[in-house]
Amino acid sequence: MSLPPAPRRSLFRWRPDQQWEGYLFLLPSLLGFAVFVILAVTMSLGISFTSWGLTGFRAFVGLDNYRALLRDPVFWQAVRNTAFYLVTIVPMQLALGLAMALALNQGLRATGVYRLIYFMPVVTTVVAGAIVFRLLLSNNGLINVWIQHFAQFTGLPVTPPNWLGSTRYARWAVVILTLWKNTGFTMVIYLAALQGVPRELTDAARVDGAGGWQRLRHVTLPMISSTTFFLFVYQAIGAFQLFTEPFVMTRGGPANSSLSVVQYIYLAAFRDIRMDKAAAMAWFLFIFIFAFTLIQNRLQRRWVYYETE
Amino acid sequence: MKIHRRSVLVLLTLIALLALSACAPPATPVAPPAAEPPAATDQPATTDQTTAEQPAAAAVTLTWALWGSPEEVVSHQRVADAFMAEHPEIKIEIWNQPWDDYFTKIQALWASGDTALIPDIAFLWPTPRYAAEGVLENLDSFIEQSGYNLDDYWPGLLESAKYQGSVYGFPRDIEVNVLYYNKDLFDAAGLAYPDETWTWDELTAAAEALTVPGERYGLAMEGGKFSKWLNQNGGAILDDYVNPSKCMLAEPASVEAVAFFADLMNKGYAMRPADLGQAGGDQAVFIADQAAMIIQNTSRVSGFNQAGKAYDVAVVPIPEGGQRWNAAGGAAWVMSAGSDAKDAAWTFLSWLQSTEGGEQVYTAAGEIFPALQSTANSPAFMTDQAPANKQAIIDEAAASGVGGFGYFPEWGELDGSVIGPGMDLIWSGEADPATALPALCEQVDAFLASYGYPK
Repeated sequence: MSLPPAPRRSLFRWRPDQQWEGYLFLLPSLLGFAVFVILAVTMSLGISFTSWGLTGFRAFVGLDNYRALLRDPVFWQAVRNTAFYLVTIVPMQLALGLAMALALNQGLRATGVYRLIYFMPVVTTVVAGAIVFRLLLSNNGLINVWIQHFAQFTGLPVTPPNWLGSTRYARWAVVILTLWKNTGFTMVIYLAALQGVPRELTDAARVDGAGGWQRLRHVTLPMISSTTFFLFVYQAIGAFQLFTEPFVMTRGGPANSSLSVVQYIYLAAFRDIRMDKAAAMAWFLFIFIFAFTLIQNRLQRRWVYYETE
Repeated sequence: MKIHRRSVLVLLTLIALLALSACAPPATPVAPPAAEPPAATDQPATTDQTTAEQPAAAAVTLTWALWGSPEEVVSHQRVADAFMAEHPEIKIEIWNQPWDDYFTKIQALWASGDTALIPDIAFLWPTPRYAAEGVLENLDSFIEQSGYNLDDYWPGLLESAKYQGSVYGFPRDIEVNVLYYNKDLFDAAGLAYPDETWTWDELTAAAEALTVPGERYGLAMEGGKFSKWLNQNGGAILDDYVNPSKCMLAEPASVEAVAFFADLMNKGYAMRPADLGQAGGDQAVFIADQAAMIIQNTSRVSGFNQAGKAYDVAVVPIPEGGQRWNAAGGAAWVMSAGSDAKDAAWTFLSWLQSTEGGEQVYTAAGEIFPALQSTANSPAFMTDQAPANKQAIIDEAAASGVGGFGYFPEWGELDGSVIGPGMDLIWSGEADPATALPALCEQVDAFLASYGYPK
C-alpha cells in the first residue's frame, strides 16, 4: 500500500489512519458549542442588521442600529466608563498581583496560607462580594469610618467620599470591588511564572553585582513578560466585559456614571426589549476587544520574550 | 511558566470568541429589567410553584402568571380557589417566578409562540411596552360585549394599560402616595399633625423642626416620585404622555417644583435618594426614626403596623395655589394574544377585577389599594386597622391623573437611561435645577426625535 506524499497536517482533512472515536467523544460539547456559541453569535450578527423585538424579526434596517448607536449619548457614556475601568483596573491589578506574587515568592513561612487568603475572593460569588462592598462603602460604612478616624488622627482635611452616591466616586467603588475580586488570580498566575524563572539566571546576575531592583528589572520581568502579556490581555478583556460588579453595586448609577457597556447591552435587551440594539452593541464591543487585542499582539514583539524563539 | 506564541494566539482567539458569546443575554439576570411597578410589593423572594388542586371536572385550564413572595402566592392561591369555587368549569394554574426572573422568563415564553406554554393571564408592567410587541390581547371587544364597567377605575388609571387607544390590561391596584408621619416625633417637637390645609411652606417648616443633623431627617422620599411635586405645581415631564413632542422639565413651574425638593435636601431637611437607598429604603428609616415623614404608597402600611409605629397618613402638602395630584399607575393583569382559551380567560380576568371577586380578596388581605373605587369604599378597605386617616388615601387616589410616566413603548428606556440619570445629578446636589433641567430637556428631545416622536 502506497501512501500519498506526506499530506499537510490539517484539522479538517480526514485521514484513513485517524481514529474517529475521538470525535465521537467530542461531539456532545461540540454540539453545545455549536448551538449556544456559534449559532448565537451568528444570530446576533444577523439581528444587529434588523429591527428585532420580543416576537422576533420585523424588518431589515441595514446599518441603522449602528448609526443610532453612534448618536446615543448613553452608549458613549458607557464606552467612556468602560475605558475608565480598563485604564484603572488592568494596570492596578497587574501591579498589585505582581507585588503580592513577589512577596509570596520569597519562600516565607506559611506562604500557602497567604496564597489561600489572597485567592479566596476569586472563588467568592461576585454578587456576595458586591453586597458586602456596598455596606463597606456606604456613607456610614466601615471604610468611611476609617477615613474619618484617619483624618482626625492626622489632622489632614480629608472628608470621606460618598462612594455610591456621587458621580465622582461610583466608578472607583466598582474598581475597588474588581481589584479585590480579581487580583488573587493575577497573583497566582504570576507566582507560577516566577517559579519558572531559572535560578541560574538570577544567580548569575547576582554574581555580576546586580542589586535586587536590577535583578527584578532586567532578569525577572523580562523572563515573565509572556505571562504579563497574557494577563494584560486577559484582564483587559475582563474589564471590557465588566457587568456584575457595577450591576449589583451601583446599578450603573448615579447618572449613568458607572454604567458599563455590557450592562447597557443587558438593559437594551431586557429592559427596553431592543434585541437589535443590544446585538449591535455586542458587535461593537467585539470589534473594540478584537482590535485592542490585535494591537497588543502586534506590540508584544517589542517587549515580550518567548524562550522558544 | 513557558508560554508559546502560538498557544497564546489560540487562547486569545478563544477568549475573544467567548467574549462575544458572553455579550449575549445572560441566562439568569440578577435584578429587575424595568422600573418597579408602583404599587406592587417590592419583596422579591424565592420561587414557589403552586398548583391548584381541583376536581378533574374542569374543562379549561388557565395558566396564571405572576410574581410574588411565598406569602403573596398564598393570597393569589386563595383568589384562584375562590374563583374556581364559583366557576368549577375553569381550572387555574399559577405560574410564579420571583420578580428578578419573571420578566426574562415570560418574555421567553411569549417569544416561543407556543400556546401550550404561554400564560393566559399575566401580571405585567409596563403594559404599553408589551402591547406594542403584539403579545397582548386587545380587550376592547370583550369589554364591549360584556358591558364591563370601566368607570369604576380611579381617574387616569386605565391610561397606564392602554396602547393606541385600546385597553390591553386592567391595573390590579393603584399607587397612591401619601405622607406618612411619626406621631411620637411630632408630639416631641410640639408640632401639629399634617392635614389637608398644609402647603409646601408648612411641610418645609415641619421638616426643619424635625431634623436633627447627623441623626434624623425631617423627610425621606424616593427620587423617582418627584413627578408629584411637578404636577402639584402645574409642571410636567412631557407635553403629551402618549405621543410626546417635547420635554417640559425646563418650564418655570417644573423648575420651581424640582428646586423645592432639591432645596429640602440641600438644606439637610430631606434625605438624598442615594443615601436613602444605602440606608435600606424609606420603610427602614421610618421605623428606625431616622426620618420623621416619608412619602410612599400604601405598601408600607403592613410593615408599620407590624412594627407597632405610632403613625398616621395625610394627603401630601401642595404649593400655594397648586393642586392635589397623584400619578395613576399600577401593574396590570393582561391576556396573552397567544392564549388558547380567551373566553375563559376573560371570565377570570373580569372576575379578578370586580369588587365581588379578586379585588375584594386582595384588598381585605391588606395587600393592595384597589384599582376600583367601589372596592376602596367597601368594608374590605375601610377597616379599623391603622392608619386611621384612610380618607386621605381615598382623597389622593381621587386626584389621580396622567403625568407620572409615559404611555409609549420607549418610556422605560427614556426614564431609565436619560431622565432618571439626569435627575440623579440634581438629587445628589451635583447639579443645580435651573441649569441642569434645560440640558436634560435637550437630551430628552433628542431621544424623542430619534424614535420619530411625535408620531
